[in-house]
Amino acid sequence: MARKSILGLYETPDAGADALDGLHAAGIEAHDTEVLTGTPYPEGAFGEHVPQHRLFRFPAFGAVFGFTLALLYTAGTQLAWPLVTGGKPILAVPAMLIILYEFTMLNAVIFTVVGIIFESRLPNLFSTAAYDRRISEGLIGVVVSCEDNKASEVESVLRRAGALEIKTA
Amino acid sequence: MASNITAAPDHRPTFREAAAHLVAQGRTAASGARLWILLLLAVTVVGVIGVVGRIAGGFEDRTAWGYYAAVVSFLLSTAAAAPMVSIAPTLARASWVRPVTRVSQLFASVGVVTALLYIPLMFALPPLVEDGVRRRSIWFGSPPLTPHVWGSVAILGLVFIGLALLWASSIPDLRTVAETATGMRRRIARRLAMGFIGTDTQWKALRMRIGVLGAFYFVFLVFTHLVFSADFAVALVAGWKDAIFPMFHAMTSLQSGLASTIIAAFFIRKFGRLERYLELDQFWAMSKLMFATSLLWFYFFFSAFIVFWYGRTASDQAIIDTMVGGPYRWAFIATFMMSFVIPLFTLMWNPVRHSIKGPTIIASIILAGMFLDRIRIYAAAWSARGINDKFIREVPATHWPDIFDVLVIVGAVGAAALAFLLATRLVPAVSLWEIQYMRLLTRPVRFGKGHAVIIAKPD
Amino acid sequence: MQQHRELSEKQINTQLLNGALATPGWWKFAVIGLALIVLAGFATFGFMVNSGIGLTGKSRPVFWGALITTFVFWVGISHAGIMISAILRLTQAEWRRPVTRAAELLTVFSLITALTFPIIHAGRPWRIIYWIIPYDFSRGIWPNVRSPLVWDPAAIGTYLTGSILFLYVALLPDLGNLRDRTIGWRNTLYSVLSLGWRGNSRQWRLQTTAGILLSALMLPIFVSVHSIVSWDFAVTSGVEGWHSTIFAPYFVIGAVHSGVAAVVTMMALMRWLWKWDNFIRPEHFDALARLLIVVGTTWFAFTMIEILYSLYSLEAQELAFRDMQIFQWPWALLFVIFLITGFFIPVPAWFFKRVRNSIPLMFWTSISVNIGMWLERFLIIVPSLARKQPFVYTWGSYHPSLVEIMMILWSLAFVAMNMLLFARFFPLVPLFEQKESQVFSSKIKIGRASVPAVLREREQE
Repeated sequence: MARKSILGLYETPDAGADALDGLHAAGIEAHDTEVLTGTPYPEGAFGEHVPQHRLFRFPAFGAVFGFTLALLYTAGTQLAWPLVTGGKPILAVPAMLIILYEFTMLNAVIFTVVGIIFESRLPNLFSTAAYDRRISEGLIGVVVSCEDNKASEVESVLRRAGALEIKTA
Repeated sequence: MASNITAAPDHRPTFREAAAHLVAQGRTAASGARLWILLLLAVTVVGVIGVVGRIAGGFEDRTAWGYYAAVVSFLLSTAAAAPMVSIAPTLARASWVRPVTRVSQLFASVGVVTALLYIPLMFALPPLVEDGVRRRSIWFGSPPLTPHVWGSVAILGLVFIGLALLWASSIPDLRTVAETATGMRRRIARRLAMGFIGTDTQWKALRMRIGVLGAFYFVFLVFTHLVFSADFAVALVAGWKDAIFPMFHAMTSLQSGLASTIIAAFFIRKFGRLERYLELDQFWAMSKLMFATSLLWFYFFFSAFIVFWYGRTASDQAIIDTMVGGPYRWAFIATFMMSFVIPLFTLMWNPVRHSIKGPTIIASIILAGMFLDRIRIYAAAWSARGINDKFIREVPATHWPDIFDVLVIVGAVGAAALAFLLATRLVPAVSLWEIQYMRLLTRPVRFGKGHAVIIAKPD
Repeated sequence: MQQHRELSEKQINTQLLNGALATPGWWKFAVIGLALIVLAGFATFGFMVNSGIGLTGKSRPVFWGALITTFVFWVGISHAGIMISAILRLTQAEWRRPVTRAAELLTVFSLITALTFPIIHAGRPWRIIYWIIPYDFSRGIWPNVRSPLVWDPAAIGTYLTGSILFLYVALLPDLGNLRDRTIGWRNTLYSVLSLGWRGNSRQWRLQTTAGILLSALMLPIFVSVHSIVSWDFAVTSGVEGWHSTIFAPYFVIGAVHSGVAAVVTMMALMRWLWKWDNFIRPEHFDALARLLIVVGTTWFAFTMIEILYSLYSLEAQELAFRDMQIFQWPWALLFVIFLITGFFIPVPAWFFKRVRNSIPLMFWTSISVNIGMWLERFLIIVPSLARKQPFVYTWGSYHPSLVEIMMILWSLAFVAMNMLLFARFFPLVPLFEQKESQVFSSKIKIGRASVPAVLREREQE
């Protein structure tokens, strides 16, 4: 059966929280609901499901990758052209350390940003889920993804909590 | 948006509970600590024997005073830096610091030990002009005893300001102690409270005094490290020209000051049963700062090292051999591990930072690292020969401590602990008025359905 | 936060998007004016490449002059972004909010500008590539990683890439907002750039965590960049005045001094040009001035220690060099101007609340700092080279040529023009930060007093 995305728009965070309570009471699973806001609210302010993420693994992996890359660059180029300059050893560790450090950090940052985008479930350019432009003007959106046959029940729960408007996609 | 914020149950101790608990803690600790005090007193006596033995050996052989100088520097870099833990965050209006301000300021009492230990060291330091030859120093053409004078001014000034800060910030608590304690403790507390009754003017004056003394303490701490490191280390090694060294000395002392405060807070919390006052938040916040200072340890070290390593002049190479890669390599490697590598790879994980035992264990490692760091610097510097040469021609061999050095080391640590413990007998180890102030300025709340806390930021 | 005025999210959108969704009357004139200078700069550069670097004032033994000074200057300015964004974010300073984006942006454009200067300076830009990137397979010549001149691009490249990514991640929610406010091609542009941002709990949580995590990662990079630039000089043992261990932190703290001052300059301009009086308020200038007092004083202490330790060894050449740098014409005049404009005018002035809260005075004192900081770099680089070392047979002097002065003007215009172009398409003040600040601001009643307060989530780093 096809699924529908239903959006209820609310004026206050309290109303949004009430809507979420109503949905949980009606047996809608937490992972089928989504609260949309134009500003970050404290975690759990709506009683919403607090998502878990694995962002911290990304910089660690990036750092290892960057370090390896830098080791190849610094050691490889010096060994390929072993010219003694300034009385320094061919593999001059203090000098290499600087480039190793920069590459390590660079890749940690790049991987972190990839991680942020990935863990935010972006890019999501062709989403069919319901949305309203007024959310970025301060309205609170509660989105429910449900089976077609549950749509009317969900809509009535959203309306009972004081929805300004219901949109379906 | 304040409508979404609702009050949450507040389980924190009330002022009355805190007053009873913290002042009583002073009493029970006083009776329970008697055994400890006796023990530490015995250790201090052992230290005094060491100092006397060192002095009896004379001042001519500078090498023999290397470990002694390292001990003085160690105290300057740990206990003397600890009060900064309360000063800097207070200036930045961080509220987490309030329960540990007193713990850190109590370290000012150790200043007395540092100042006493400094006196013989002054005699061991050579004057600027010997046999008509003037050596390099930051004092250029000044009279021969200038380093001795300024060293004394710096250390005595630091001790004086530290004690003044401890006293100033203890005044409201001293009044509470005077009202509730008995006997001599009551008499001393009443006298030191200076008639404080908590009028608006008195509170304003108190805050201003703490602010001004805190700022002065910071300036004096940096000045002391600048003067001490320049005269008692850098100037003794021919050709050692290292502009970052005073800052390295001061910065690493902040790392060890934090470590000292964490360790003291751990024991005070455990043995004073002060779990409701010294909470996880304090350890967490301090461990973050300790992590940052551990990174700075490496940064300041490397800033100097790369310049010497790359420069490769004879003087540059001699300095690296003396301090890093030569006979004191063992101490350098141990320091490097304990002050940087271990803190880096442990404190970078939040579960370690966000605990009480984690930061305490790392703090202990950092203090051990700091001790070895000061040995590598001072024992090497005091063994260096040819003070007037262009650069050091013979890298000094490792000088191992003799029995008097060991006695001085043990005794100095014991005396420091004793001074700290005696200070806690008079003033509560956790500041009662700061706890109360924090209670006023922070509130546990609910935001919608989430848990939060609101923190007031008064001007 | 007393000057804080609560606005609805819609009002915040309207006021802060006034530059991105409409063209202010002055904007076109400003951009055209700046573009003309930029074009003139490019033409000058072309002329210099064609004629050779003899057009600059460089000659034996001063081979590093105003162009390298300007390179160091812009790297210094770039320290604004991470100082404001990362350090203040980690210390949870509320007043950072309206300035983070503009400061990050200044970092990006000043770094791009800084990177061009060694290329301009070298005069043969195409050669730089194989000094850095190992591509010249046929000749078997590889970059010399032992050279600080290879460390530089590694550090600046890392900082620039990181800063751009940092800026972009923090821009995502506002891009979503812009998508909601636009139609047509701009809507398509913002939709693609926002990657389909919706503003759900997961995305906001990641956004908050990202701010902290990226700040923590960017901070050590930020420290390393100017340190490495300083090692271009400090590791050289043959040039008087350069071989000093304090250079790395000294350069970093100087960079923060000039960078934060540049943020003040920019904030004043933003307030005047876009009329963001509700967002950029005297309290923000006050807080920045307090920060600058600490930074400026530390920098001055480092300056003094640097000079103290250079005299410390009492070597004749070092003394002669300092004598020339501080007491001999024309360096003496520059040295006095450097000290007065970099420290003695601005820092004591900031001790007065009236100065800290006056936007015109803050604007002019911040400009003063950067005049001083440019001269500081010039006085580090040029007099040292002019004396160089005992066995140099020519002790020439140096003055910047018209070509070099034109390139300096170009750099100022280039950064300003890029900032204005950015501001035409994206908000310079982060909207979501402003809204978050309202959600998280509160008051505590203590007796009859109502004290401004902030909300902090529990159990979150």
